[in-house]
Amino acid sequence: MRALYTAATGMAAQELNVQVISNNIANMRTTGFKKQTAQFQDLIYDHVRRVGAQASDQGTILPVGVDIGGGVKTVGTPRLMTQGTLSTTGNDLDLAIRGEGFFKIQMPDGTFSYTRDGSFTTDNTGRVVTANGNPLQPTITIPNGATSITVATNGQVSVTVAGATAPTVLGQIGLTRFINKTGLQPQGDNLFIETQASGPPQDGIATADGLGDMMQKTLEQANVEVVTEISDLISAQRAYEMNAKVVSAADQMLQATSNMFR
Amino acid sequence: MQNTLLVGLSRQVVLERQMDVVANNLANMNTNGFKAERSMFQEFLNTGAHEDNFQGRDRRVSFVQDRAAYHDFSAGPLNETKNPLDVAIDGSAFLVVQTPAGERFTRDGKLSINPRGQLVNASGYPVLGTSGPIVFQPTDKAINVAQDGNISVLEGTATIDSLRGKLRLVSFARPQSLEKQGDNLFAATSDPGAPDTKAIVRQGYVEKSNVNSVLEMTRMIDVTRSYQKVSSLLQQQGDLQKAAIERLAEVPA
Repeated sequence: MRALYTAATGMAAQELNVQVISNNIANMRTTGFKKQTAQFQDLIYDHVRRVGAQASDQGTILPVGVDIGGGVKTVGTPRLMTQGTLSTTGNDLDLAIRGEGFFKIQMPDGTFSYTRDGSFTTDNTGRVVTANGNPLQPTITIPNGATSITVATNGQVSVTVAGATAPTVLGQIGLTRFINKTGLQPQGDNLFIETQASGPPQDGIATADGLGDMMQKTLEQANVEVVTEISDLISAQRAYEMNAKVVSAADQMLQATSNMFR
Repeated sequence: MQNTLLVGLSRQVVLERQMDVVANNLANMNTNGFKAERSMFQEFLNTGAHEDNFQGRDRRVSFVQDRAAYHDFSAGPLNETKNPLDVAIDGSAFLVVQTPAGERFTRDGKLSINPRGQLVNASGYPVLGTSGPIVFQPTDKAINVAQDGNISVLEGTATIDSLRGKLRLVSFARPQSLEKQGDNLFAATSDPGAPDTKAIVRQGYVEKSNVNSVLEMTRMIDVTRSYQKVSSLLQQQGDLQKAAIERLAEVPA
């Protein structure tokens, strides 16, 4: 009975939907996290009676056909790349991007990863690094004895060293954008890497290249909205239950058949 | 006497197929832009066992046959996603998708941009504008889709909108002639479709599936019970036959 398998595809899809939603909820306090949504498509149809086929010798055409669908499939779990809300932290090296860009991070193996998580700190040599200790690109080194760090909206970092009156410019934090941000591959640790689908990285300067601007002492929160997630969760759970009901109904029909002649 | 069995069987086959349709509707409860399907049945008359020696004429036996699964094109609820590339269509129009097999039509407005900058659907096929695929430049931002389908962007640091194209919206005089292809796509069979100027495009929304779950559940129960009823009918008929054979074959001692 086809309905059994059709309902099974529905159950599998809703199970995945719940997985995606629970990951969003789990990351609702993750800095720079971008929520995902499961996206579904119907499976191919069995055209029992094809619409538009000739129905009689007089040349009448079938106005509607009989199409029996085979269920549902997951086509993707795209990320919603909207801006998360910004919250002020007061920490000098907390940076939020207001716009399209990503921070470029150098990984231990020399490759680059990209992130929206701007909670940076300095390591033992004074380099600006992520919470995992990977340096920001281009490298900015905060000298010993710096009293105040200022990051301008265009990413220019300047510090005031004890004894000096004028601030010294240390360098400029660049941003990177992708034509298809949704095509980036998540790596965990709030990092993304470039893929065939995302297109090549386009490095630029904040404000100048339309990448958005940077805000110091601020962090970008996850763009997860709890109310939406919970209602999606309920809807997914109900859909799962209904598909389970179809399985048991189809089973009852089969049972009726097998009990017909004892 | 065998007719009961055959009539019942025709009903069972149809019910099983109706169950498949219900199952597919429920499986696609969370599929964007999905349109539910309904089964339609028709009577199929056939001559019964023929015997010329009968006084009266034989009555014809009526079977059941499923004639069609028609699409329910009512609008699905709009869900706000805040994604600038999500579009929902208010009206009866469809988006046009360029697939290798030709133009296909969809109500699934969850769109994205591919690395070449083209506006594509979830399967990666270009969504067509009035003059071919809609292509974005690498520095485009603040994508805005107007109610009439015009897509404008801000390019780099520019403050003036530049137009990137206009979504092609097509509606059909006879939408029932559309054929479902899977992948949320419809193919036009006999109705080529005409440009729709009345439909309103809503940016940041997607149209959810129009499956009415309560209705489908009720239908499912109806189908199951009918099937069981036919089964017990056939069973009784079988018992009747069995009893008849046993009684008729009884040889008095």
